[in-house]
Amino acid sequence: MTNLKNKLLTLALLLAPVMAVASPALSGIEIMEEIYRRHQQYPYVYEQQSMVMRDRYGKRDTRKAHRYSRVEEDGSAKFMLIFDYPQEIEGVTVLAVRDPSGVMKKSVYLPAFAEQLIENSAEDNFGNFLGTDFTVENIVGEVLSDYRYERRQDRNMNNMPYFVIDVYQAANDEADHPLRRHFVRQDNFFIGQTEHLDNLGRLHKRQTYHDLKAVDGQMWRSGMILMEDVKEQHQSLLKVTRRWFSHDYVPAEMFTADWLYKNHPYIEPRPVEDEINHEEDSDSTTENDEQVSQLSGQGMEQP
Amino acid sequence: MIVKLFMLGCNDRKGVFLGFLIATLFFASGIPKLQVDTGVDSLIPANDPARLIYQRVSSEFGTDNKTIIYIKDSQLWTPERLASLETLHRAIEKTEDVTRVDSLYNLHTIEGSDGKINTKPVLASAPQTAEGAERAKRSALSNPLYIGNFFSDDGNVTAMVVSVNDIHDDQNFSKDMTETIESLLARHRDDFEQMVQVGPPRINAELKSSLYEDFILLGPLSALILVLSILFFMRSGLSAMIPLVTSVMTIVWTFGMLGWLGIPINILSAMLPSLIIVIGSTEDTHLMAAFFRGLVCAEKEPRKEAIEYMASHIGLPLVLTVLTTALGFASNLFSDIGLIQHFSIAATFAMIANGVVTILVVPLILSFFGPDQIKKEEENQTTLNLPGKMVKLFCYSKDHFPGAILISTALLCLFFIYQASSLYVTNDPLSYFPDDRPLIQDTRRIHEDLAGIKIFFITLESNSKNTFQYPKNVAKLKEIQGFMEKQGVFDRSISIADHLAFVNREFRGEFAEMSLPETRQLVAQYLMFFHRSDLDSYVSHDFSRANIVVRHNISDSHTLNRYIEELEDAVTHIAGPGLKAHIIGENLMVNSAAENLMVAQVKALAILLALIFIIMSAMFTSLKGGLIALVPAIIPIALMFGIMGLLEIPLNPGTAMVAVIAIGIAVDGTIHLLARYNELCRRTSDYREAVDIAVSEEATPLIVSCLGLSLGFGILLFSNFTVVAQFGALAAATMLFSIFANLLITPIIMSKVRLVGLYQILAMKIDQQVLDNTPLFNDMTNYQRRKAILISELNEFEQGELLVEQDTHGRDMYLILEGQAEVIRRDDGESRTLATLNPGAVFGEIGYIREAERTADVRATTPISALRFDYQKMQNDLKFFPNIVAKLNFNISYILGERLADMVEHSKK
Repeated sequence: MTNLKNKLLTLALLLAPVMAVASPALSGIEIMEEIYRRHQQYPYVYEQQSMVMRDRYGKRDTRKAHRYSRVEEDGSAKFMLIFDYPQEIEGVTVLAVRDPSGVMKKSVYLPAFAEQLIENSAEDNFGNFLGTDFTVENIVGEVLSDYRYERRQDRNMNNMPYFVIDVYQAANDEADHPLRRHFVRQDNFFIGQTEHLDNLGRLHKRQTYHDLKAVDGQMWRSGMILMEDVKEQHQSLLKVTRRWFSHDYVPAEMFTADWLYKNHPYIEPRPVEDEINHEEDSDSTTENDEQVSQLSGQGMEQP
Repeated sequence: MIVKLFMLGCNDRKGVFLGFLIATLFFASGIPKLQVDTGVDSLIPANDPARLIYQRVSSEFGTDNKTIIYIKDSQLWTPERLASLETLHRAIEKTEDVTRVDSLYNLHTIEGSDGKINTKPVLASAPQTAEGAERAKRSALSNPLYIGNFFSDDGNVTAMVVSVNDIHDDQNFSKDMTETIESLLARHRDDFEQMVQVGPPRINAELKSSLYEDFILLGPLSALILVLSILFFMRSGLSAMIPLVTSVMTIVWTFGMLGWLGIPINILSAMLPSLIIVIGSTEDTHLMAAFFRGLVCAEKEPRKEAIEYMASHIGLPLVLTVLTTALGFASNLFSDIGLIQHFSIAATFAMIANGVVTILVVPLILSFFGPDQIKKEEENQTTLNLPGKMVKLFCYSKDHFPGAILISTALLCLFFIYQASSLYVTNDPLSYFPDDRPLIQDTRRIHEDLAGIKIFFITLESNSKNTFQYPKNVAKLKEIQGFMEKQGVFDRSISIADHLAFVNREFRGEFAEMSLPETRQLVAQYLMFFHRSDLDSYVSHDFSRANIVVRHNISDSHTLNRYIEELEDAVTHIAGPGLKAHIIGENLMVNSAAENLMVAQVKALAILLALIFIIMSAMFTSLKGGLIALVPAIIPIALMFGIMGLLEIPLNPGTAMVAVIAIGIAVDGTIHLLARYNELCRRTSDYREAVDIAVSEEATPLIVSCLGLSLGFGILLFSNFTVVAQFGALAAATMLFSIFANLLITPIIMSKVRLVGLYQILAMKIDQQVLDNTPLFNDMTNYQRRKAILISELNEFEQGELLVEQDTHGRDMYLILEGQAEVIRRDDGESRTLATLNPGAVFGEIGYIREAERTADVRATTPISALRFDYQKMQNDLKFFPNIVAKLNFNISYILGERLADMVEHSKK
């Protein structure tokens, strides 16, 4: 039973869409469970992603990565993101493993540093993930049991009815304001937007989902996720260029240090490096940049 | 023409009054348009090429315009204090126009240990327990990037760095922002031992408020001191009121002009009202002294005649003194520094306006309210009071120890010039405030516990992307920072190298203490642990440019510039040929402009002295006259610079102007003195007596005006600005030195050199025909004639007066300019008229050529004006003009020959 529950809880990355008629009687946690229930269908996912980061001056950085995730029979979940562009960060990996009890362990591998998986015990809820505006939790998903969900007054946005769910730390019953606020589409139980709030309850970051597609039956997927840091005026766009739901792409052995060391070996320092690089890095970001511009602040109607 | 101009106020009173009323109303309507500029922009030369680089660098790496909130408490890391800090942080964040607040509540840090890496905020929210607070303290103090910037070494001090929008067009922005932050601080002040804010908004706001305070205090105080000093010295209420009227009008005109032309007032403008009142009053004092002298001679229409006397005697010197004073201020018109240039425009206009107002309004007022007769005590006042006593002392010294005085003055000047060699320059806005001001003390406090609040950037630029992902290039940044550490004058520097070294240490452990990553890949991979906003200030987006942010607290521009120059050499060398390097910052540009002050000071002084020399040389048609006029100008300058060196007063935008302004004013007294002496020289052959008379007559107005000026400048000591106070003190001292130079040194020199003024020659109304027809000047050019005339004396004789007495010895020769005389020979009690002499006639030539008894009397039959040529003086003064001597000797021979021929003719008959 625990395993089953954990399975339900852990598929944060699979924001499953299901066409369903929303019942006004549903509580916050029930809505969240329903969202997660609709994601259980495909435990093995591989995605090719592009990330575009734009700073307050409009300057952009592009990264490309491979994202692997699988949910095991015992309820544990594994998540891995391997960067392959630009060249200097090729092989940089974030590995997140959640054990059956729900404890998450995050590690980082830097091929230029050493053949060593370094445990990343980040305490920073708002801490950005490897230079992006996402946190690991934004990408991996939240453990429902860690939080308390309060349903608020439903809202209509873009002529679409939404559930509004405030998310609180489960251990903190006296919090004045939520950590974040989910806006869940009532037609498919898909989280269309999440507002991350700061300590004073003010909007800090806005996460919106775009390019929604029904993948299979009730399950929906987003092709693009935009995270806007309202305070710092940054944006990070995560675009899924290809996606596979297949066990073959995410074998269990790849979520290990050995696999990483073998496929992305340690980079030996060269004795002499050019003082100045005269190569002009190719700019393959134009298309993505335009998408950031288009999506920025207009992906969804502001609640 | 000048006399006519003066008499306009007397002859057309209605017209002049209406004209002034309209002009004053026009200027007054410009006053509401006045703008105030206390920004540092005006301290930077407009054409400084560094401006463009600075704008580019600051737009890329962020402004250096940040307010630092300094918080000190020995119990800072307790839940209560940290909760209070969090509330303050959040409150400031909410403030309008605050773009960013950086404090321990949004700083992130990285901690590595035992193969683990932990990225976390120093504090996400206030801790509930003492252990939580202690953990936060350890976390904060373990990050070397934050020590000195956000935390003191002992952790008892923390800083909040507040970035605000730059709103230059809002006059009250700085004040409002400072007050808003101050009101927030006030709510938390009791929670901490110390809590202050320092930054551009506060500095700007304090500059502005101090400027207003100066305006309110200095002008009225100057007026009060002026009235009291004139009442004390001149004992005349009218003499005290007239300068007030002319000053008020000039102030309205000046500030109105600034309003209309859109020229902002600045901290130096705060002294304008005082300067106008004080400097303007000196001319009025001279005018009133002349008016009273005129009253003594006046008969039918005493006021009008006294005004005429005043105009004819003071008119030209007054125009010249207005000119030289205006030149003193105008010599800074082309200063690169806006602050000085704007002040110079305003002050030059003020001096000219004051001259116009004085020339036209003083006669107008005197024609209405001037006294008809002078009281006995007023007539005698010049010799009874303090100036009289000073003159006596000076005269005694001059007569008894002239050589000793000249030598000791020369030695004194040499000593002070030597002292002046230690002069240094500064242009730091914070140095404008006195040391005991809370703002300065707060700044020092921040410097002591954290790093100084002054910031500059060192940028390295390449044409290639990702240059600063290469360890070799990153190492260059570290090397530059290492050089700065060796210099030991800058408080703190941070670059991307520090960030990388810090992450490297956290990944590798303490053994890799602040070493840099070895490969480009590792650099790039470490950089992923920072958000771009963390690195915005240190590296460009494409890594082609890197920036080192340096904090310091150096106020002495000379020291700073010297270290920056040294640093520039090192940076250029370290950067190598592939990288362009700039050391840039608003603060640096301001301090760099200080060097221009020194150059501008020397230039302005040279220009002013040259102009004074030219004007005075032209006035006396003698280079000697020009040189003598420079003596009372140069001595006070030497003494003033010496005092600056001795007392370690820096050359700053205020003190840089003292020399030119004070000399422009001090030379006024010289002009009046020399002009009077010159006039007297026309009437007497005893130059010493002429000197004594000139000194005693001019001493009162000169001493009164110099003391008044000293007091007036001394009032500036009450200014809120050190630069203005230093200006006041030095200008006051210079004025006092000028009394000594004008009334002691100049007279000693004058008593040895005779000067004749061109204007007096022009004023002599000599009939040109007389000069053309006289045999004495036959075949001589106008220049030769004028030179000869300048060496003669103009003597006036009454009808019946004996010019030459038979059987006496004398070596003077006379040329009659006006009137008639008879030559009478007395033999055995009988007198015979030998000849009648008309204008152009020469007599006494035999005694001139050879010392012999006079052969006849010469008696004036009408009032006579005659030029007297003294043999000895002609020989001395014309020894460098042999052509003139030859011509004169030839003409005298001709006259003697004619005389002999006549005698032979006469004896034949």
